[in-house]
Order: sequence, then C-alpha cells, then structure tokens
Amino acid sequence: MIISRAPLRISFVGGGTDLADFYHRYPGSVISTAIDKFVYVVINRTPLIHKVSARYSVSETVDFADELKHTRIKAALIDMGIQKNIEIASFAHLPAKTGLGSSSSFSVALMKGLNAYVGKKIDKGEAAEAASRLEIELVGEPIGRQDQYAAAFGGFNVIKFNPDDTVTVEPVLLDYKKRLGLESHTLVFFTGITRHASSILTEQKANINKKFETLKQMADSVPEFRSRLVQGDFRGLGTMLHEGWLKKKSLASNISSGVIDGLYDAGMNAGAWGGKIAGAGGGGCVMFLAPEDKKTAVREAVKRVAAANNLTDFQEIPVRFVQSGAEILFNGDTK
Amino acid sequence: MKEFIDEFSKRSIEAIQSMPHKEVAKALNILQAVYERNGRVYVFGNGGSWAIAGHWVTDFNKTIFSHHLEEHSRRFRVSRIPSSAEELTAWANDVGYDMIFARPLENVLEDTDVVIAISSSGNSPNIIKAVEVAKRHKVPVIGLSGFDGGKLNELADVKILVPTPKGDYEIVESTHDTIMHLMTRYFKEYFNHLVEHP
Repeated sequence: MIISRAPLRISFVGGGTDLADFYHRYPGSVISTAIDKFVYVVINRTPLIHKVSARYSVSETVDFADELKHTRIKAALIDMGIQKNIEIASFAHLPAKTGLGSSSSFSVALMKGLNAYVGKKIDKGEAAEAASRLEIELVGEPIGRQDQYAAAFGGFNVIKFNPDDTVTVEPVLLDYKKRLGLESHTLVFFTGITRHASSILTEQKANINKKFETLKQMADSVPEFRSRLVQGDFRGLGTMLHEGWLKKKSLASNISSGVIDGLYDAGMNAGAWGGKIAGAGGGGCVMFLAPEDKKTAVREAVKRVAAANNLTDFQEIPVRFVQSGAEILFNGDTK
Repeated sequence: MKEFIDEFSKRSIEAIQSMPHKEVAKALNILQAVYERNGRVYVFGNGGSWAIAGHWVTDFNKTIFSHHLEEHSRRFRVSRIPSSAEELTAWANDVGYDMIFARPLENVLEDTDVVIAISSSGNSPNIIKAVEVAKRHKVPVIGLSGFDGGKLNELADVKILVPTPKGDYEIVESTHDTIMHLMTRYFKEYFNHLVEHP
C-alpha cells in the first residue's frame, strides 16, 4: 500500500493568469501558499482481485480501468497502462469545490502515488507537470496550472507561467514571525455554495481577449504583493487583495453573486482590510485579512449574512500555512 | 601573537558574513516541511564534520524543544549515520570506506526524509556516494561545504557553501557550526513562540 498526500492552497493575487490563452501572450504569475488541509490518496495493489476499484464520494468497482466513471483516475490509469488489480481511495480534510484547489491537490497526490506504484520516484516539479498534463491534456479540463504547482511544491511561492509553457517556482522565504503574523490576520469561511471551477473558467477563457489588460495588471501585481509579504505589511496585503478581487470579479459574470457580494461587504464593513473569494469564484471560500481586534466583528458579520441567506453548510475554516508539498507518507508496496 | 589572533578572528567573521542567506532560508523551509510530515533527518560528515553532525542531532532532538519539552509531543527526528563505531567499521572493513554513509543510508532512507551532508572540501568520496543515494530517492539534500564547494555543492538541493581558500578547515568548520546553531536558534524561538503565544 502507498499513501500520498498534497496540500490545498490559498492563492492571493494573479489567479487567472495561469490559463494558457493568457500566458502564451504575456507571462502569467500567481502568488499562493499551501495550507494545513490535505487530500490523501491511498493506492493498494490487489494481485488476487482482478478488478479496479476507485473509492471517493462513491465506490466504483469495475473489471477494467476504462470502465471507471472518475475521469482523473480513469485517465491516469489508462495513461500509465494500469488496467486492473488496483484499489485507489481518496480522503480529504475538506469537501470538494471549496475554491482551495482540492481537485488539483488530488491529481498531484494521485500522480505522486501512481508513480511510486510503478517504482518511479518523482520530484515536486515532475509531480506538478504530471498532474497538469492529466487534468488539462488527458481529461481536457479548461483549467490553469497554478494549483498543481502550489500543491506539489508547498509553502509560499511565486509561480510564473512562461509563454514557452515552462513554469518557474520561486519560493518566498518567509521567517516564522511573518508566517504566523499573516495567519493571525487571516480569516477563511466556506460559504457552503459549491461550484465546478470549470463552468466559471470556460467563460473566463472566452473573455481573455477582452480582459487582457486587467489580467496583465493582475500578473504584474505579484512582485508588490511578494515584497509587502516579506515586509510583513499585512494591511497593505489586505488592500491589494481587495483591489485584486475587484479586478477578478470583472473577468466573468458568474465569479461573484448577490450572496457572495453580501458576505464580502459584511466582512469589509466590519473592519477587514481586504479579501477575496478563493479559487475560480462562484462559491467556495471567502477570505479576509483583518486587524486582530476586528476579527470577532468580521466573523459575526459574515455569519449573520450567511444565516440570513440560509447557507446551512457555511463554516469558518481555521488555516495554518504549511511548507509541505506533495509527499509519499508511506510506501509499503510489495509486488 | 595578537596579530595571529586578530587575523583568525577577521577571517572567521568574514566567513560568517559570507553565509548564503537564501540557501540557509531554504534549508529552514525544508526542515520545517520534514517536521510537518514527521519525517527523519539523516546527517553525516567526516572528522570535525562528524562532530558537527553529532551536535546537530543533540540540538535538534533536544535543545530546540527543551523550554517546553512536555508541550511538544512531536519533535525533530534527527540521526547521525552510521549509528555506531561498530557499524562504521563493519561497512568500512567489508564493503569499503567510501560506502560508510551510503550503505547505512540505504537501509533507513524513506521518501519523507531529508539528508544533511557536511564536507569542507565537498569532495569526500564517502559523502558524495551517500548524496547520490539520496538523489536517487528524490530526497532533499542540504549540503554544507567550504573551499570551492566541490561536488557536494553541485549535487545538493540546498547549497550552503562557505567560500574560503582551499584547506581552510578551521574557518569552514566553525562557520558550519554557526549555521547549525542559527538553525537551532530559529526553531527554538519558533517552537517557544508557538507555546507562549497560542
């Protein structure tokens, strides 16, 4: 048996510039961090059971990999030439579609684990590439590449998407005081509204020409965010998040909604410096940076709006930032 | 006598000031990650570097946590390899001196681990052989070297080179000790902070 894992992530600014239609014309750039919520993938070799099992929110058992419904597991197994005698299960700290990149974290953990299964050790860059290829080329998701890299590398990174399709990952070397300082100003709430990133990204992709200048500004704001982060200017970071969110909202009609705006405005009116919707938008998590003495007020204000809108799955998600990336936690596989 | 002492002090200070900040920061991040996943750290070197490796084990396993030992149920798991003089002489006598680190490392190394290799020249064959084992496992290697860095500085993922004239062992080793202590102090303050500011 093999157990692999990869963290979820929070992206701060630059999201959307990781789409190929943009970065083929202008270098994309995103700054993000891994958080202490993980997706775990367990892979078991079953020499005496001539089936393929995939266990996630449902449980599938079929004779051959190409009969699976789970698109990513199916595509990965076919690509790697694994047809049967295998069980794959996934576990996670959070539900899917929270905007924290969990589907790519799953893909990274899956590719890290499957490579170990065939006796191949892959590094962080290779795991990110394998997951990107799986999702974008093999499954045909209309997504970008920031999440695979954020999950594979872990920690705070500036991830650059070059026009020649290469990706450069520059770690932001923060000491623990800055890291814990940022944590103590961060509030993350799961709205309880879920959506597929791909539905939003399809419209966003179609708008790339029209929104090219906005996306360029978003990519160009990454170095400033990085330097404010290194200086520990949390208020400035909050302001930048707010400006970034306003830009992002303009990229596609369904990134925000009346309810999301209501939650966001409540937090801002209660004293947050700034915030954003994590991930592609349309639901998922809303996050804020706020002064420590305003955190309770922000929490209460956002909760009230959630209750008024009957968001029954709404909850605060406490986050810590982690250095961990894609990892094989256990490899007891014997052929 | 004063001249000799002044000269040594001056060279020591210059070596400490030449410490590669970015690489030291990267090493701290890698050690943070190995702590998070509860992996192990294996450290080794020859002679004076072997002594630094032993000191590293002591400070990371105990000193870092000693202000709040009971509060930290998870602590660093650092070991120097090989684990005893008996094992060292067995590998050296039966397999070869160049394999005294590589072979014991092969026994214990897992994907979650990190390797710290210390070599002033960066060219000790037994150090390089062990680093190659870690590279094959895709396990991160933090390399502490001196002089021109040698092969260790080329191979290591984190390249902590203290550049000095060739043969400047005293300066390189004491700077490596300082770097080890910098990391000890960083994590000691970090873990103290976690307990004192929950």
